[in-house]
Amino acid sequence: MASPAALRELQRELETKADDLNKIQKDISKNHQVRKKYTIQLGENELVLKELDLLSEDANVYKLIGPVLVKQDLAEANANVRKRIEYMSAELKRLDTTLQDLEDKQNSKRDAVLKVQQRIQSLQAGKAKA
Amino acid sequence: MEEAAKKGRVTPLASLFPVEEAQKAVRRVHETLSEKESELDRFRGFISDNTNLINLVQKLPEGLHHNIMVPFGKAAFFPGRLIHTNEFLVLLGEGYHVERTSKQTVEILKRRGKALQSQVESLKATMQDLKAEASFFGITASEAAEGLVEIREDYVEENFTERESQSGPPKEHPPSFSEADKVKVAVEDEEYSCMVSRLDELEKAEYEAGYGNETHEDIENVAVSDEEYARMMSRLDELEKEELEAEFVNERDEDNAKLAVNDEKYAHMIARLDEIEKEPETECGNERDEDEKIKADFDQSSDQISLDKINRFSEEYQSRKLLEQTKDKKSATEETLDKRDTQKDLTDRLNCTGLTVQSRPKEEMSHGKGLVHGIMKSTPLEKALVLPEVKENVQAASSLRSEAPLQDSKPGFDSRKAFTGSIIERAHNMQTSSSQQAATSSQSTVTQPSKPVSRFKMQRR
Repeated sequence: MASPAALRELQRELETKADDLNKIQKDISKNHQVRKKYTIQLGENELVLKELDLLSEDANVYKLIGPVLVKQDLAEANANVRKRIEYMSAELKRLDTTLQDLEDKQNSKRDAVLKVQQRIQSLQAGKAKA
Repeated sequence: MEEAAKKGRVTPLASLFPVEEAQKAVRRVHETLSEKESELDRFRGFISDNTNLINLVQKLPEGLHHNIMVPFGKAAFFPGRLIHTNEFLVLLGEGYHVERTSKQTVEILKRRGKALQSQVESLKATMQDLKAEASFFGITASEAAEGLVEIREDYVEENFTERESQSGPPKEHPPSFSEADKVKVAVEDEEYSCMVSRLDELEKAEYEAGYGNETHEDIENVAVSDEEYARMMSRLDELEKEELEAEFVNERDEDNAKLAVNDEKYAHMIARLDEIEKEPETECGNERDEDEKIKADFDQSSDQISLDKINRFSEEYQSRKLLEQTKDKKSATEETLDKRDTQKDLTDRLNCTGLTVQSRPKEEMSHGKGLVHGIMKSTPLEKALVLPEVKENVQAASSLRSEAPLQDSKPGFDSRKAFTGSIIERAHNMQTSSSQQAATSSQSTVTQPSKPVSRFKMQRR
């Protein structure tokens, strides 16, 4: 009959939709992690900036690049740290918007999945009656 | 009428907060709490490391150089010397190091320590919130498991005349559940209002006859009251019959209605009786709140006899209620009826039974109120009585509804039911405490039955 085929179709639809939902949820969790990292780094950079501001002009600043400790200019170091901070804040904002989109998509997918499930249930109920 | 205000919704707490879910919530909160605790431990470790480092940094510049064992690779050391003892490369973060002296390093480290402390504080605050949440969940879970019920009713501002009429038939239906109750209460209230109006008339007559001379007034009013007396006697007989019939019925509603009517009439009867017989002042020995209140009110007016009567009424009423509750209803009513003739015996009985009433301040309140109303209705007392009544009403108004459930449960109930009544009190009390949304009537319950409820709480626990 048409109903078993329709039922199978609906079930396939349900599977695809469920996969999409899973993917979106993974994206959201990844987004969360990246956001966390960036937030921590941002905090650290702000601390560094504070300390650098407290330094006098003649203090020696070194930057650890791999195994090498490189002497740096205080002004240069300051500038670098500030740029990093700006970059990271921008990244965080971008991630926020992406997260928002992902969440919206997730909600819509969830609704679609529910709808498909309901259709399946109604079909099955109809079949049972018949 | 007020019945509309009494429509309530009973919701078992278990339905609002399913037991399993509440327990799960408690567990979840506990998990988060433990996570936060581990973080707190980490922070504490950091802080202790920081302090150690500060100490070391302060100690190093004490010598020009130190002989130390220098770590070499993962598992080797070799002897060496530590020179430049005042020069430190401090890691600021993000791969940035800065050359600092010992003092400057210490400053940096101290600032770091402060930052750590502030983080610890915020974490502790979060943990406090979590703990509060956990305790709330725990309480809700246990309450839901106990099967407590939340009763909500609409709060309706009621004027005091209505309150009077409600308190006269001292049984109030619990914020409840059946229309029948409300109908009966309506009936009672109508009767009561009639009596009140009649009583007012009588009072006016008495008042006009002369304020200070109670005895004369009483005598004068005896003639007037004889008719009423006869009427009241018949009414009292009816009441007794109804009570006896309703004695073992396990329906609060009926009992309440009947007993309310009975109590009204009975109160009338007693009041009239005492008035007519002009019983001298007798002290009951029981000191009840309402009595005291009545006394206070009466002290303001110089109506000592009325005071005595009211005391007696209250006592008798209370004793009556108690007797009912202890399954001696029949004998009690009989006794009281018999004793009506002999004033002294009555007083004695009141004293005896009254003494047993001491632990029921709530009842007393209701009884006193009812009795006061009875007095008002039935006896041509001075207007001063109106004052105490009104005052009592005002005082009792807030607790009216609270008394209602009590009164409902008490009158016409057997001793076993008395216990049920107490449990109801507690439930009512618990509901108010737990739901926090109960109507003011329920809220007032909390304040009212503090004594009996706590007692029963202890019994139960």
